[in-house]
Amino acid sequence: MTLRPLHHAYGDRVEDIPLTASDGTELGLCRIAPEDGSADRPAVLVLHGLTASADMFTLPETRNLTDVLLDAGYEPWLLDWRGSCRLPYNEGRVRYTFDDVALYDIPEAVSLVRKRIGNRQLLVVAHCIGAMCLSLSMAAGLVPGLAGVVAQGVFLTPKMSWKTRARLHFGGELLRSRLVNIPTDFKKVGMWSKHSLIFAEVSLGAECKDPNCQILQNDSWGVGGSLFVHDHLDDATHDRLAYLYGTVPMWILPHLRSIELAHTVMRYNDADGRYDALPKNALDNAGKFETPLLLLSGSDNRFWYDSNQLCREVLSRRYPEMDVRYVEVPGYGHLDTFIGRNAALDVFGHIVDFLDECRSAGTPV
Amino acid sequence: MPEAGSGTSRNRGVGRRPEEEVIERRRPGRAQASDLLARFGRSAERAGPAPDTGLAATSRDAEAAAAAAPPGVGEVAVGIAARAARFLAGSTPDAETDLFDAGLSSVDAVELLAVMARELDVRVSLDDFFADARPRRLAQRWAEAAGLPTAVVPDSSAETPSADASSPTAASANPAPVVVPAASAAPPATGQASPAIAPVVVRGSAGTADEDLETILSDLALADRLPFSRQAEPVVPRRILLTGATGYLGSHLLLDLLRQADAHVVCLVRAADDDAAERRLADALRSFEQPWSSEVRRRVTVLAADLRRPHLGLSGERWAALAQEIDSIVNVAAAVDFLRGYPSLRQTNVLGPLALAELAMTGRPKPLHHVSSVAVFNEVGIEKMGEDDPVAHIDRLFAGYDKSKWAAEAVLRRAREHGLSVTILRPGAIAGHTRTGVYNPRDLSTGLIGAFSRYRTVPAFRSMNLAPVDWISKVMAAVVFDPSAWGQNYHLTGRAETLPELVNDMKLAGMNVGVADWRDWRDDLIQRHTAEPVPELDFLIRILRSPTAMKLFEALMLGPEAGMERTERFVHRHRLPMPERYGAQAQLKAFERMAENGVARLPSPEDAPYLSFRERTKGHVGPIGEDRDTRCRMALTLSIASMYQVVRHRRIDVRGEVACERLHREPLRVETGEIWVRPDEGVPLRHGGDHPLLRYRMVLVDRDHGRWWLEGWKTARAGRDFWKQTRTIEVTIGREGEPASLAGVVRVPGKSFVPDQIDGIRVDPRLSSQEQRLAKLTWLSWFFVQVGIGLAEPSLRMAAELLDLRRDAIDRDKDRLQHKIRKLMIKREQTR
Repeated sequence: MTLRPLHHAYGDRVEDIPLTASDGTELGLCRIAPEDGSADRPAVLVLHGLTASADMFTLPETRNLTDVLLDAGYEPWLLDWRGSCRLPYNEGRVRYTFDDVALYDIPEAVSLVRKRIGNRQLLVVAHCIGAMCLSLSMAAGLVPGLAGVVAQGVFLTPKMSWKTRARLHFGGELLRSRLVNIPTDFKKVGMWSKHSLIFAEVSLGAECKDPNCQILQNDSWGVGGSLFVHDHLDDATHDRLAYLYGTVPMWILPHLRSIELAHTVMRYNDADGRYDALPKNALDNAGKFETPLLLLSGSDNRFWYDSNQLCREVLSRRYPEMDVRYVEVPGYGHLDTFIGRNAALDVFGHIVDFLDECRSAGTPV
Repeated sequence: MPEAGSGTSRNRGVGRRPEEEVIERRRPGRAQASDLLARFGRSAERAGPAPDTGLAATSRDAEAAAAAAPPGVGEVAVGIAARAARFLAGSTPDAETDLFDAGLSSVDAVELLAVMARELDVRVSLDDFFADARPRRLAQRWAEAAGLPTAVVPDSSAETPSADASSPTAASANPAPVVVPAASAAPPATGQASPAIAPVVVRGSAGTADEDLETILSDLALADRLPFSRQAEPVVPRRILLTGATGYLGSHLLLDLLRQADAHVVCLVRAADDDAAERRLADALRSFEQPWSSEVRRRVTVLAADLRRPHLGLSGERWAALAQEIDSIVNVAAAVDFLRGYPSLRQTNVLGPLALAELAMTGRPKPLHHVSSVAVFNEVGIEKMGEDDPVAHIDRLFAGYDKSKWAAEAVLRRAREHGLSVTILRPGAIAGHTRTGVYNPRDLSTGLIGAFSRYRTVPAFRSMNLAPVDWISKVMAAVVFDPSAWGQNYHLTGRAETLPELVNDMKLAGMNVGVADWRDWRDDLIQRHTAEPVPELDFLIRILRSPTAMKLFEALMLGPEAGMERTERFVHRHRLPMPERYGAQAQLKAFERMAENGVARLPSPEDAPYLSFRERTKGHVGPIGEDRDTRCRMALTLSIASMYQVVRHRRIDVRGEVACERLHREPLRVETGEIWVRPDEGVPLRHGGDHPLLRYRMVLVDRDHGRWWLEGWKTARAGRDFWKQTRTIEVTIGREGEPASLAGVVRVPGKSFVPDQIDGIRVDPRLSSQEQRLAKLTWLSWFFVQVGIGLAEPSLRMAAELLDLRRDAIDRDKDRLQHKIRKLMIKREQTR
């Protein structure tokens, strides 16, 4: 297994830490050392979304989340779980589900980080499917003692538009039996291939001529969503989209579909004893969350829409004692909350404010 | 800085009042302005030291003024200032300070007038107060009205230019040609340096002097003192000076300036020191829901300053440093008050921009971007409002605000002729943020939206130039960063709202409105407000009652759509969002906030229902876990107050009766009750395939005043009995504050569903028949779609589970591969 090198501007301050999940899957984990060499900072584990990678937090062309966390006195740890485009699994033929991520990747990365940081606080910032899997790990009680969790885009109650539901859950079924995956990089597809039609479809009505942008922004993988507000990206980021977002595996569709249709994060492998540690339904088990929770979403999220607002409403109604809050970032979509040119100004401030609050309120674990 | 009396050449401190006041009073024997000017001219000569040159505008000396005035007026002025101090936290204004400038609010003004009348026996009208709120002027007005002697005293507010010999203007040794020897340390040739603008007497229609016009003319003359400068270099700015960042538009613009490039922004904020200025900016940004995080702080410098003071109230070193450091100036700061007169607004709105122009022309030439307003066209009957069309005639503007914005543009046009690159940005009404809903409580559009929603009538306006603050600030920031766009006029008025569109939007939201002639609308509004005051609309009512502000309002109602061709081209070129109508969807969040704050009003269950229908159910309940042995009937009336309520909150109001002998032998009254349609988007209550469809929650009161709660759920399941599912309610009932004691199932009889819930829909009879049909259709469409979605969800999940069993591409590819291998092997066998 080869892990694609992280694209960053931190020089030798990036420490790669070998991590192999207990099911034998090799993952990527790295720590960005603070410039001042301090070793007493709270650690922040950062989780990317499906088909993205830790690269989305270290964009050298903008002020990225890692910069901001370092300047705010934290020690960032970046995990590449098995859905990362720095890893080869999305393009391979060995299926995984989000159960694997929730059962192996996240808890084992957390325990490895814990071993390294000792009794320092550990906080988590998670994006999209990374946040969804984290919610399942948390509901299973596999990651206890987190000092604070930030979940962007979606968490326990995924919700899409009806257009996306129809196209992803049922239209996607036609593709699932024909395609193993859908690449984001047009260069991998070429003009004539079985994926060409998808690129043709996503180009309809697009303002941007870049096919890699079209498949993410104009009509994400042909399912009718949009992953970011086009004007929010730096030109350099826009030109690197194919590098930042890789191939989406089609075998993940059944799990995603079952979760979204129920508007609840659920375990997929019902009859498999290996996954017994995971609850059937994460929302029913959310009462055991003791971690302060910040749910974040762009006001113009055209993929998960107001899932996180819904999550806050459901959680605060069912578990009134839970510390859960919701922040909506005006004008932002989904991915641009992290890779946007101005994410530091508009988004990361909310994250750091919340982490600071958790840091001062919490006790070392 | 030279103090009052040292450099004034004209006296405009006397008898200044709005034109219409002059016309109304027409009192004979008033001092003519020319006389006053001549007298002041002599007095200025006596005052000795000559006027300075340059632009550092004016300082005041209250004591000198008070001493020069007759004791009566002087004492009263001091008395007024002392009483005004009660309303101003921590500061005591002098007799020459405009009380609004000192921080007095309109509401405070009303109270202060009452205090003045009670404690000083000084009675001044509110209009007079707004026209010029300097204590000395108030005292003079009172004296005039009372027939007491009013002294003609030199106006210590010294509006003519003056320059400090040690000022940074001098220190900066501006290489650009300057008209005046500003750098001279000794005041040479004071006489010839005096601007000596010939005293112009401008007469109002009644033949009396129009003091505002005189003041404006002398203010315009100040622009001639500006140095000549080179054009600003067309480079993208890296360090921008911003004024007005604590205001509504300014706070949004600050963030957009930070977003659109990597520039650092220096904010000038009125405060005692830099720390206080930063706190004030932080509070303002938070109040407008703009971030003030460490990420913002690292790119913003906040300096204490005061636009109304010479050299912006900055020290000489700081002025010089700014002149060298900054490479662009954005002026958003303005005193926005439609009731105050020109004298009260000119310091901030005219002399402020002038000082900024001077700063822009000092040292390295910098572009100046000035936020003006389409108020410069507020002349009743104006035909065109294009970006380069001539602005209104100044003698046909009435409101002090309009005049001050006009004068600011006029002085900056003059500055353009001196070489300064001046961009004039003219928004119209600035509406609420389309995403956050943060609105400006002092914008006229806020009051109008509030009044429309409360009283359900709209004035017949021609077009309303209204754009949301987020679009305006985004475009403004883009202009600041595009050197090729500088030096032009831009209208940021968005897509004008028209009357039919507004009426239609309100109709679709179920908040139907009537249309009235704007004068009738105004009279009706004032009458209703008098009968039942709404404090949040006070400012609008005050505008509608003020003769001068009414002119502004009339121009707003009858004005044409502002042209914005250049802005549209610019927006297109930069791929910025094109101006869109600020319609129902865009203003939804702002409207909700206005309703929360009491400005606007959403229809409530207490109002006559927009639409209602009956729902009858019958079934059985029994103690929890036991047989359902008791009949339970519900006769409910379901109603909605507006379509907004159901679409946004998915809520239906419930009234009616519940009859169940286990609760009481007599039917119980539904005190309050609500139904939620697809609560929480149908998220299952517990793990499984059931999705909630409708949730009922009621408070019941029996005849003996016993109180009960009732909770009911209609649930969707994967099955073929959809018709039954839509009619079945599982109920639990308990005493108030206690857990459930009864449970059961009630059902809407199939026969009563259509007659009650479709044919039996009753719509507000006050609506026209077309509006009634629309109401019924909109409701039924929305409700059936929601129920359809709710019923479909469990079945879709079941269908998806079956689809999961299909083989995917990996399985198929494996088969294909095996097939290929087998074929190859057969072929090989055959070849052998």
